[in-house]
Amino acid sequence: MRIVIGEDLFLLREGLVKLLSAHGFDVVAAVATAPELLAALVEERPDVGIVDVRLPPTHTDDGLRAALEARARVPGLPVLVLSQYVEQLYARELLADQAGGVGYLLKDRVFNDDQFTGAIRTVAAGGTVLDPEVIRKLLDRHSRTEPLSRLTAREREVLALMAEGRSNAAIAQRLFVTDKAVSKHAAGIFAKLDLAPSDDDNRRVLAVLAYLES
Amino acid sequence: MFLIALAVLGLGAGAFVLAAIHADGVSAWVRTLPQRLRKRGWSLLLVPLALQYALLTNRPGTGVGEVLVAVAIVAFAPRVATKAVPFGLLILGLWGVDLVRNYQDGDQTHHLYGVVLAGTGSWWHLVLPEALLFLAAGAWLFLRVGAPGAGYVRALAGRTAAAAAGRPSGWALLLLPVLILSVEVLGLRHWLGQQWWTAEWTVLAAVVLAAGAIFLVRRAPTVAAILGATGLQVLGVYGIILGAIWRPSIPGRYFGLVGLSGQFGSRAGVIGQGLVLLAAGVYLMPRVIREHIAGAPDPKVASLTQRVQTLTQTRTDAVDAAAAELRRIERDLHDGAQARLVALGMSLQAAERMFASNPEAALALVIEAKETSSRALTDLRDLVRGIYPPVLADRGLADAVRALVLDTPLHTELDIDLPGPDGRDSIIEMPVGAAVYFAVAEALANAVRHSGARTVRIHLSYAAGTLRAQVTDDGAGGADPTAGTGLAGVERRLATFDGILAVSSPPGGPTIIAIEVPCGLSSAKISSC
Repeated sequence: MRIVIGEDLFLLREGLVKLLSAHGFDVVAAVATAPELLAALVEERPDVGIVDVRLPPTHTDDGLRAALEARARVPGLPVLVLSQYVEQLYARELLADQAGGVGYLLKDRVFNDDQFTGAIRTVAAGGTVLDPEVIRKLLDRHSRTEPLSRLTAREREVLALMAEGRSNAAIAQRLFVTDKAVSKHAAGIFAKLDLAPSDDDNRRVLAVLAYLES
Repeated sequence: MFLIALAVLGLGAGAFVLAAIHADGVSAWVRTLPQRLRKRGWSLLLVPLALQYALLTNRPGTGVGEVLVAVAIVAFAPRVATKAVPFGLLILGLWGVDLVRNYQDGDQTHHLYGVVLAGTGSWWHLVLPEALLFLAAGAWLFLRVGAPGAGYVRALAGRTAAAAAGRPSGWALLLLPVLILSVEVLGLRHWLGQQWWTAEWTVLAAVVLAAGAIFLVRRAPTVAAILGATGLQVLGVYGIILGAIWRPSIPGRYFGLVGLSGQFGSRAGVIGQGLVLLAAGVYLMPRVIREHIAGAPDPKVASLTQRVQTLTQTRTDAVDAAAAELRRIERDLHDGAQARLVALGMSLQAAERMFASNPEAALALVIEAKETSSRALTDLRDLVRGIYPPVLADRGLADAVRALVLDTPLHTELDIDLPGPDGRDSIIEMPVGAAVYFAVAEALANAVRHSGARTVRIHLSYAAGTLRAQVTDDGAGGADPTAGTGLAGVERRLATFDGILAVSSPPGGPTIIAIEVPCGLSSAKISSC
């Protein structure tokens, strides 16, 4: 799988290259600035671009803007955005084109190899991966309102994991239950929230996020 | 005219008797009459005033038309009537003064003025007190009912008094009565007899003199005071001379309170008044000259002094706030990330020691170390957010507030009107943006925590060099801006930029928190904020 990395801190960039190479990914470009990143994303058309939000030249959200620009030029180009902090505002902007193939994670999620490489594969396959922190804030925001308050504790857990972009199998593994139990919870959630059920993981994520962001 | 008044009364009585046939309606009307009259308030005075004018002008059919018009105005436009009454009283008072001054011995005209019938040998001496009473009542009502111009008069009086009283030369205000007295002594009114001096000239002269005097009092109070004192002396000498060459032949002329002829004329009064004025002028002269030499404080100097005081205070606050902020950051780092990094090092050290002997325990320690490093990062993230929110650094104020709203568990309406392309790289300078951001964040947090609000409205705008933010919630209200440290801290932080914060929170809501900061745009570099 071909990867482009945009990260300005040398140690982190090299760390990412080593980590991904060790897991069998092919890092075709590792650059340090937003213009270089945009060029690499558009020219290399990687399977996934891994992008730091804050990059030179202005050290603000240049990386995010480069990723959005690349996706505007190459629709659906999968990007996994990493940041020291996560903002719902940026998550919305990344999800706005509804094209899938988007990830938005805190940098420390890299510590967990399996989760991180899993996220890369999901994004490469056109899926959506959102950081649990983003989802926690989304759920907090709706915690007082109907009908979210009618969900059971377990259903809320499943909803959060679905919103992060996990498949039923991944949720089952995480919660130590069977796939069937997760399917049942998902059906319950969709019924209570009055959403059309979907077996397609990505469409399911988008439906849940659209609901939470409304 | 009394016959006509009697006829009106008769007609009224007749109508009343006719109406009495419908006794129920009439008794209800009568019962509610006091209540309705109370509601009309001061506007009712318009009716007797109309009658009074009719009587004073000796018009045929005295009073009927005027009174009917007045009643109609009171009935259908009570607010207009209320605002007209003070002017009516003032004019009536001036009229009374005029009556007295134009009175000459042997005057055969009779006037009903107030409660007094003024005519030859009758109650003339009561007309002046009555006129003064009307003037006082008119002036009081003028300010009380908020007649047109009352606000301006109040503001002008306040500003002029403040300008004069706030400085050593409080005597500057003396110029105004001296000027009025001088105009009277010069007999400006009597020039009306001359062909070239028309009423328009009199009005113009009065306006120019008043404006000039007020300008002088405000801009050069010591000069105004010297002019006032000089005027007192000149008037005093003039009075003494008038008394000395007493010729009681000028009708209707006055010197101050005392007439120069006729019933109110008094040689001793004129001389005495002249002496008092001269003495006051002589007493004041050296004092006001000393003040002038000492130099009246330039209004610019006064305002700069005030500015220095404000700046000193806000600088102290800013330094204190910065020191407190640094202490907080130091403590947070010490207890948070730093402590976790120490724990991390110890876990790794222990893992290293057990690596060969007990690989399983070592692995558990390494996993623990990984979790500790994650928590350290969380601590640092929270700390950074409190120092300078990353979105604010990335995108500027507009998007930072948008991000803030997304994290708020309340329905929030956002209305942002800031210059710049979609607030993308907002051009509000960073320190001001941060202060306003934290102010809005605090207001929003208060709305979430205390108010029980369902909806919050945030309005951000920039116009004419001022950045404004307003946070309105529909909660219970009754917020006390002095309780707690949150808003007080915000206020101090805003004060560093000459910004202000106002809280309106009546019981029952809504709570409105308004923030204003004077601020140039960073691109234009208008100011240093």
